[in-house]
Amino acid sequence: MRFTRREFIQYGSASGLILSNNHGPLMKALEAASLNPTPSEDWRATTCQGCTTWCSVQVQIQDGRAIKLRGNPHCKGNHGVICPRPHLALQQVYDPDRIKTPMKRTNPKKGRDEDPKFVPISWDEAMGLLADKMMELRKQGETHKFGLFRGRYTYMRDLIYSCLPKVFGSPNGISHSAICAEAEKFGAFFTEGFWGYRDYDLSSTKYFLGWGADPLASNRQVPHAISVWGDLMDRATVSVIDPRLSITAAKADEWLPIIPGEDGALAVAMAHHICVKGLWSREFVGDFNEGINQFIAGKQVPEASFNERHSYGIAKWWNLELKDKTPQWAAERTGIPVEQIIRVAEGFAKAAPHSISWVSPGTAMQVRGGYSAMAAHALNGLVGSVDHRGGTVQSTKIPINATPSYKAYQDEQAKTNSKKKKIDQRGTLEFPALKKGKSGGGVVTNRAADAILAEDPYDMKVVVSYWSNFAFSCSETKRWEDALTKLPFFVHITTHAAEMSHFADLVLPAAHHLFEKLGFIKSKQNLHGYVSLNEPVMESLWDVRMDESEIPWMLAEKLADRGFDNLLRYYKESFPDLESGNEPRNGREFTENALKYYTQPLWDSTHEKYGKYGDTPKGWEEFKTLGVWNTKGYEYGKHIDHFKTETKKFEFYSETLKKSLGKHAKKHSVTIDEVLQATKYQAQGELAFVPHYEEPFRWGDTAHYPFIFFEHRSRLNREGRSANCTWYHAHKDSDPGDENWDDVLKMNGVDAHRLGLKTGDLVSISSPTGKMLANLKIWAGVRPGTVSKCYGQGHWAYGNLAAKDFKNRLPKGGNNNDILPADYDRLSGSTARHGGVTRVNIIKV
Amino acid sequence: MKPQRLAMVIDLHRCVGCSACDIACKTENNVPADMHWSNHIIETSGTFPKVHHRYIPTLCNHCENAPCVKACPTKAMHKAPNGLTLHNTDDCIGCKACQLACPYGAIFFNERTPHQEYQDKEPLIQGCTASGSELTDKTRKPIPYYNKERANTYDGVRPKGVVEKCTLCDHRLAQGLEPWCVASCPASARTVGDINDPDSEVSQLLEKYPPKVLNPEKGTLPHVFYIREF
Repeated sequence: MRFTRREFIQYGSASGLILSNNHGPLMKALEAASLNPTPSEDWRATTCQGCTTWCSVQVQIQDGRAIKLRGNPHCKGNHGVICPRPHLALQQVYDPDRIKTPMKRTNPKKGRDEDPKFVPISWDEAMGLLADKMMELRKQGETHKFGLFRGRYTYMRDLIYSCLPKVFGSPNGISHSAICAEAEKFGAFFTEGFWGYRDYDLSSTKYFLGWGADPLASNRQVPHAISVWGDLMDRATVSVIDPRLSITAAKADEWLPIIPGEDGALAVAMAHHICVKGLWSREFVGDFNEGINQFIAGKQVPEASFNERHSYGIAKWWNLELKDKTPQWAAERTGIPVEQIIRVAEGFAKAAPHSISWVSPGTAMQVRGGYSAMAAHALNGLVGSVDHRGGTVQSTKIPINATPSYKAYQDEQAKTNSKKKKIDQRGTLEFPALKKGKSGGGVVTNRAADAILAEDPYDMKVVVSYWSNFAFSCSETKRWEDALTKLPFFVHITTHAAEMSHFADLVLPAAHHLFEKLGFIKSKQNLHGYVSLNEPVMESLWDVRMDESEIPWMLAEKLADRGFDNLLRYYKESFPDLESGNEPRNGREFTENALKYYTQPLWDSTHEKYGKYGDTPKGWEEFKTLGVWNTKGYEYGKHIDHFKTETKKFEFYSETLKKSLGKHAKKHSVTIDEVLQATKYQAQGELAFVPHYEEPFRWGDTAHYPFIFFEHRSRLNREGRSANCTWYHAHKDSDPGDENWDDVLKMNGVDAHRLGLKTGDLVSISSPTGKMLANLKIWAGVRPGTVSKCYGQGHWAYGNLAAKDFKNRLPKGGNNNDILPADYDRLSGSTARHGGVTRVNIIKV
Repeated sequence: MKPQRLAMVIDLHRCVGCSACDIACKTENNVPADMHWSNHIIETSGTFPKVHHRYIPTLCNHCENAPCVKACPTKAMHKAPNGLTLHNTDDCIGCKACQLACPYGAIFFNERTPHQEYQDKEPLIQGCTASGSELTDKTRKPIPYYNKERANTYDGVRPKGVVEKCTLCDHRLAQGLEPWCVASCPASARTVGDINDPDSEVSQLLEKYPPKVLNPEKGTLPHVFYIREF
């Protein structure tokens, strides 16, 4: 129904408006306000790490309690806006199930079915117990059998993640990065020379092509994307490639409902079509010498016929891969109609250079997904949107002081043992993990479980893990349960008694990173980099400690008591107070000194880098109050011809990858072709150096496992930690297709009717790896033949709400990682959780 | 000069359905988890691959012709001079006539004392984890993140036996502040203002875009207006 404004006014005056004689609460409030002016609100700056956007936020404090959140208006990245996640954090910090005090295991037996029988102990006793175990390793010359596993961190991380193991004498700092987005960075590195998240000029772009990207809901830049999306849709065409109808796809001009794992086919076909139609960027890529387009389907192009400008290898790429990869060929594989492939490819290219091809983990974190990521990112190079207004950009410089060297504090044992092999098999023949081009440069997180089980390269004896929950968050969870059962001594630093805690000897309560911790992050969105501080904004109710600083300090003190004082000396001598020069006397002083030291170039006007790269806060106190420091705005074009690739150009034929693979092959005395066979890729020969199509790899045969399973993220997931919050469950239907207070398996109605299933049926979902239960939901937003469930539920620990039955370890909902196999994109070391890596069978229970 | 008549405009084009408004409202108004002063309607339609999905944010419509006010026997539910439909727990007898009368599901009834999860005494792990009641003991508030400003004009937490609903953050409006759902929307999809003022932002939006309301056939004359499409 449509109204004119006059009609409103008519309604206002003509209707029987009930006027109350009772002045009511509003009038009372107005009177009260004039008599008692409201005291000004107390808002304090800190950082939200609910996803990896890492926004700068503010928390309102009343009587020492955190009560509300909003965006930090001083941050140019998220400029005062936040997504739903920060609000949810109130229910995390004030969760009744939080651990208040260190816990010690009293049941010596470990296992999924063993009750740890935790008892409360003091910090003093807890740290002493850990120090005792570590000193045993020292005495036996086995310091390398100590491991520090890292989950959610700030950039105070070196203090616990590298300094502690290295000074103690272990190489085993194992991070979670491989279960995050490393394959995505692989794509950008081996084309553009940039191993990192890209930033995007959303405010000027004319075409958004999202590869599994759902920025209105999850990773990355969520609040900024939400804030500009209305304007963006008015100006730009939005096309989203996603096996499910995400919220970004629901609002888009085009939804390309790709068959999981076929992203590479779509990307190379789009590149083929852009070439055939002559729509590549003459400015960025160059042109044929005669100006006549020789990209004809099926025909080779003489390399010498093309005069290439800022890119390298376009003719080689065409000849090796693109020439036969027509849209018709791709339509057969991807399930996307050929007209749509053509329309989207042409629209994307014609809007260039103001076009964005946004590669996200959905497209990259697949078996063989590194090449899909390369292909999808290469489209930016093809149309010249790289480092251009309206396109994809890199980072602005953030000057931070480097962690002081610990080398002088390493004794002989530490020097020797910290050079031993890391346990995660990075750099082995099968796991190149080519971070920034280096063999073994990246972590292979999920292999750590196998290493522990096989005692290969050696038997791990003492592991400390912080803000992690690998027994929930890594695929094929059973291996982690077994590995943690086997570990002789395990310490978990965590806010909640999570799955991983269940296997621990000691559980240490962590300060909450949004409300109770001192630290800092570096991030970027909206064409600005920024440093945002994590700050303790409220009075902690419980006896928690800051994970990355206070806990290692306490450990260092205990080790010193037991005769090993190298770590404590390192901490004390390397982090004096910047003004007085005094050594820190306790963990809190250590934390503050370290934070001030790291961020000094940002706030200290006497530092040589102060003011050169961005904001100029007047000193430490002002910086803390603002909570954030911003870089200058991004300047386009500076990377062109200076990319960190072998050729300094944007590489379609990656000399960079060729060199990396060559080095890795030589290290293992094999050929590159043998490396590719060992790492489960199909390409051989020169095809390995260009973005190309690799067939998806799936576990389970079609006869026994008729459905392709794929998972997705939630706009309410604070990584894996939201499920104990009532607000998570009460608003879960904000994820398209999902239901409140449930964890539904989404299936297309065509399949459901064929199987005689209806919404609400309890079904068992089984893969070759494992089983889980969920309620079925018939939903049109998934393709027939595929089924999907959101990640985040299926906890059997964590809390009373997250688990169905905490005491008996029964899960509420299903953990996708119970059915996902531990498979990898081996070139990047990434865990392959996407791309339809497993097929499943669905049976009504 | 016409009297003030408050209204909200929701721009569905800007809205991305994130439900930050729903959650933020709870933090402002100490709303129990399953009561949605700020709420939404979700619709998926069509057949794969031509599927549509939309999210429509909802709240009390602060109707001109409010059926809840008409139904209320005690005037606990009443209209304010600025057009808001407000509630007074002192006079509320919990008869739920308002809830029955409201076609929008905007009114919620407190069957039990709310926020039960913060009254539980049993810790997950004895001596080690907290409990709901320990939190409320330590913070001396019914919920640890209790916002006391809500109590300026309405009960901070409404008791067992009465209804509750959105008041368009009248306590904030009284201080010249926007409702918290408006301030918290990252898409700037919500605007509140005086539609009797032709220069107000709401008036200008309603001038620019043809608005819709929910269930106009019910004759409630809602004052939450929707513009554009999701």
